[in-house]
Amino acid sequence: MSTIPRLLRLSGTEAYNHTPDKNFLMIGERTNVAGSPRFRKLIKEDKLEDALEVARQQVENGANVIDICFDDGLIDGKVMMAKFLDLIQAEPDIQAVPIMVDSSKWEIIEEGLKHLQGKGIVNSISLKEGEESFKANARHILNYGAAVVVMAFDEQGQAATYEDKCRICQRAYDILVDEVGFPPQDIIFDPNILTVATGIEEHNNYALDFINATRWIKENLPFAKVSGGVSNISFSFRGNNPVREAMHSAFLYHAARAGMDMGIVNAGMLEVYDEIPKHLLKAVEDVLLNKDDGATERLLDLAEEFKGQGAKQLVEDLAWREHPVEKRLEHSLLKGIDKFIDQDTEEALAKYEKPLSVIEGPLMDGMGIVGDLFGAGKMFLPQVVKSARVMKKSVAWLEPLMEKEREEKIVALASSMCSEDPALSNEEARIIATRSFSNGKVIMATVKGDVHDIGKNIVGVVLTCNGFDVVDMGVMVPCDKILDAVDEHNADIIGLSGLITPSLDEMITVAKEAEKRGFGKKGIPILIGGATTSAAHTAIKIAEHYSGPLVHVLDASRSVPVTTALLSEDREKFIATNEENHQKAREKFAGGKKKEALSIEQARANKVVIDWANYTPPVPEFTGTRTIKSQSLRELSNYIDWTPFFHTWELRGVWDSETETLKTRNKEGAKVARELYTEAKELLEKIISEKRFIASGIYGFFPAHSNGDDIILPAHDTTFHTLRQQNKKSGKPNYALSDYLAPERDHLGGFVVGIHGADEWAAELREQNNIDEALMIQALADRFAEAFAELLHHRARIAWGIERPGQFTKSELIHEKYQGIRPAPGYPSQPDHTEKPVLFSLLSAEAETGVELTESCAMHPGSAVCGLYFSHPDSHYFMIDNLQKDQMEDYAKRKDMTLEEVEKWLGPWLGY
Amino acid sequence: MTTKLNEELKSALSERILVLDGAMGTTIRGYELSEGDARGDRFRDNHEDLLNNGDILSITRPDVIADIHKRFYEAGSDICETNTFSGTVLAQSEFFVEDPRKTGGRKDPEFFENQVLNNRELQDLVHELNIKSVQLAKTQADRVAQNDGRKRYVAGAIGPLTVSLTNVVDPNDTSFRPVTFDQVKQTYRHQVDALLEADCDILMVETIFDSLNAKAALVAIKESETNAPVIISAAVGRGGETMISAQKVEALWNTFAHVDPLAIGLNCSLGPDLMEPFLRDLGKAATTHISCYPNAGLPNPLAPTGFDLEPHHMHDYIAAFAEAGLLNLAGGCCGNTPEHIAAIAKSVQGKVPRQIPVLA
Repeated sequence: MSTIPRLLRLSGTEAYNHTPDKNFLMIGERTNVAGSPRFRKLIKEDKLEDALEVARQQVENGANVIDICFDDGLIDGKVMMAKFLDLIQAEPDIQAVPIMVDSSKWEIIEEGLKHLQGKGIVNSISLKEGEESFKANARHILNYGAAVVVMAFDEQGQAATYEDKCRICQRAYDILVDEVGFPPQDIIFDPNILTVATGIEEHNNYALDFINATRWIKENLPFAKVSGGVSNISFSFRGNNPVREAMHSAFLYHAARAGMDMGIVNAGMLEVYDEIPKHLLKAVEDVLLNKDDGATERLLDLAEEFKGQGAKQLVEDLAWREHPVEKRLEHSLLKGIDKFIDQDTEEALAKYEKPLSVIEGPLMDGMGIVGDLFGAGKMFLPQVVKSARVMKKSVAWLEPLMEKEREEKIVALASSMCSEDPALSNEEARIIATRSFSNGKVIMATVKGDVHDIGKNIVGVVLTCNGFDVVDMGVMVPCDKILDAVDEHNADIIGLSGLITPSLDEMITVAKEAEKRGFGKKGIPILIGGATTSAAHTAIKIAEHYSGPLVHVLDASRSVPVTTALLSEDREKFIATNEENHQKAREKFAGGKKKEALSIEQARANKVVIDWANYTPPVPEFTGTRTIKSQSLRELSNYIDWTPFFHTWELRGVWDSETETLKTRNKEGAKVARELYTEAKELLEKIISEKRFIASGIYGFFPAHSNGDDIILPAHDTTFHTLRQQNKKSGKPNYALSDYLAPERDHLGGFVVGIHGADEWAAELREQNNIDEALMIQALADRFAEAFAELLHHRARIAWGIERPGQFTKSELIHEKYQGIRPAPGYPSQPDHTEKPVLFSLLSAEAETGVELTESCAMHPGSAVCGLYFSHPDSHYFMIDNLQKDQMEDYAKRKDMTLEEVEKWLGPWLGY
Repeated sequence: MTTKLNEELKSALSERILVLDGAMGTTIRGYELSEGDARGDRFRDNHEDLLNNGDILSITRPDVIADIHKRFYEAGSDICETNTFSGTVLAQSEFFVEDPRKTGGRKDPEFFENQVLNNRELQDLVHELNIKSVQLAKTQADRVAQNDGRKRYVAGAIGPLTVSLTNVVDPNDTSFRPVTFDQVKQTYRHQVDALLEADCDILMVETIFDSLNAKAALVAIKESETNAPVIISAAVGRGGETMISAQKVEALWNTFAHVDPLAIGLNCSLGPDLMEPFLRDLGKAATTHISCYPNAGLPNPLAPTGFDLEPHHMHDYIAAFAEAGLLNLAGGCCGNTPEHIAAIAKSVQGKVPRQIPVLA
């Protein structure tokens, strides 16, 4: 009896049988919008002829199967999948090969299957959504006739370890073969190739886990295939192609030997295994095979050797100077190079004659490209800030000439208006004329009582880049001043920013006053932004006080579309949608299920139970305060947690301090973060060596004990008042900070730290149009303040005897593995900012550290942190919410304030 | 029951080479029917001519169709195909729905949706046509089986359409298709349901010009959840590729292996001589039975059947195929009369059928 081997058999118009002589099935990845920016661009621009060429090239370059994916928010994947596969049917050389229909959406996969005459591969299905949908999808695929990629995912998530990979693949295999009747040779497992050499210890074994899981699958799951996305493995080395290529090739070599059948591979990024330099190969294989703990370190060191071609780049760098002046300006703007900007601006002026023509011509064209790239996620905020700086420098060069020209124009227009309409006074005509020569003008301010302005500065930069005329009034700006400025500048838009909660009330005040002045009737929009603001709060609490458009802007990248829409023909539509969203938010709030609350007595009865009788509170080595007038910045820099630094620039991810990389799915973002980090380190060195910042702080310990929800410091005639959670809870206590203090003979700590010198320096730099450096200085000052708080807390714990020096590593400290907490007034565990003055006066903090409190209880300088220290091992942070009137009445009485005052300060946390 | 039938047919095909019938269309021509015969009373006023609508004869001249089935069964056919080659709403619309191109429109998914697929009258007619056709074949199968004691089977013919899912019809928009996959699936499902309702034994997706159309038919069959045995047969050109979608035979097998058909094979378009290399290719790949029913050579207007080869030619070719171990099921397509089938039946008698290779 003759036999036919049970192979994976696929087809386009030609058959593809995965016979043993074909060691590896190459899946072309260039027709995947997620993997190929070029392909995505072609598809978005509807250049389908060119997109077909991409498919053709892959076939010509030897791809056995081509992966087609349209998973992108801006592409209608279902429609495009159908259309593209139909187009391929008209191309004999492309439709010869089998197609991998790639999508995370089942409806796109099914649409793809309806347009394949041959037998393709579905990429992918998994147990993520449970067995039922897994089986249903597999049955559909079997009806159409296609092989299937099964990702090693289950209801619990992605399989990272060898055991999980094997377990999930076994389970999927059994379901497919035994229950669905899927041909085992048509099952392709993707056991997840994950990135190695990230600096995180548990990642070290990822390559081996994949290779071992592959071997296990091939030995235990008959006829099943193994595939994977290879480029993931080398993700830590993006930007260093020689190392990446070597890693891909070495990984494939080992994985294929373990039985890996196929992979999604960019054939152009694959070094020939035998041609990898021997010392690099050894370092790469040590990492992949997790030979020892030092492997990553060694490859990192070696990687430097292969990085870039310095000399070659320098030559290329200056080639752009040969281009015409417009191109040179564009290049400078895109790359953020200010070295040649003055001379190029001068040259452009000679060519265009008028300063405005230079701005509206080559400069705006260049910024237009920057804006587009930013909007499309292809440029990142740090780069845009650089572009804006170059733009500002160029404009600053032109400014004196322009001012003169503008004045002439206004005078000319005003006089012609007056002659046409004699009723018009000279002054009125001038105002109208001025207005007609202005772009959209935006007044921006951080409201009274608040000093935070990094976010606002970023918004200012981004808006400036996009052609808006921004008047930045700075921080702590009283309501009247903001509104006067609106009149004075004839502003089109008002932007309000704030970081601390009392600013929310101040924004309401500004909205009310603006309404009184008739700005609402005139339709001048108010934009609301900043960390404590939210779309819901804006809709529910602020919008009702203002009849004009009032819009919450989530972050800098949203500021442009919002501002543009408000000044465009689409204004009415935009306002209507905004109003609709507000309405929805209000309805949701009104109709939303109120969390069930306890009375304050019930909540207190459910306090944290600590067996104080059998607990001896630790005694600190000193009581009273200690002041640090000028803390060593060098020492502080070791305590910096960089992750929030990148968040300032809207770069999301987690900073891994050991590999100095931002762990994010966004490759470009990580690259930008790396560059930003390099610049930040340089600036940091300058700050430290030139002592540009002064870090002052104070901390101390005081005998204290709890008394109900209060904390009493008998020797200092001081009482801290705490708030208690009032949500009805099952099984958990209703926390208040006072629960962590013993009813007698315990101690409470407190601290205030501040960074001086940053605000002034940043203002100075802004004057010089060095806006990117100004931003970075403020962001670094914030990091120093946080680092100082960490360092002091570290010292305090040691002084308190609850931690030994060196007990925790740096990363353990960042992850707060230690005992005790340092909650700050105004933050979730005690959201009342008015507890700050109590702390400040206890420590004499203003006199000792120079950190002051504003009327809104914001700290000035802005880069400052304060808080209380608790030592109990059970103490942890929690969130106060759903405060009820009974507690507020009681709290007001304890604090000797009126109920109204208390309600005003705690507005967002009230549950009634 | 159909699972049992599947087993029965499988073991029969492994024991001997079964015989299919010959051509329906070219055999009808021998009856020299007129347009009036095709229309009968019922379709007297139909605005399109019906003489080329062979399927309609199951309603207007059932006597002719019954006679043809009887003659093939008597000539030695184990399996006859029903007279339903164009028994789909889409194919029948050519005769009953005005072509939109006559009024400046075009055939597109909207036209098929509104004028054809949801045309209740046409649905009913096509349903009736399939039911009647199965009944005609079954009656003859049973009668002849009773006479000579050998069981006969009825295969519901599921033919190609006049529209294609892969073919480019608008050079200015190569992604335009006049019809969608779901519409093709729907029209086949309607036919499959009628054929099964009338209790035909086998479903035969045949004369496949376009593999994607055939895929829609086979998905429709899968979704009907029938266990009826399925035979798949493609029409390939001289290059061994499906006539419209240009798929090679091994690729075709890979595409349809998951259906686990009773047999897969080639028919129509070529005579046995030109078909042979592709039959060999298919035989090397397929882990199921192989069927073959070629045309009686190439068209020849001077020959009485319109095709070159006479019964004794077909006898010799098919005998050679059988001896080479290529066949499990043999018959004839265009130009093959009951006399040709008798010669083919004789040629395979006592010959050992192809052994199905085992998947290992």
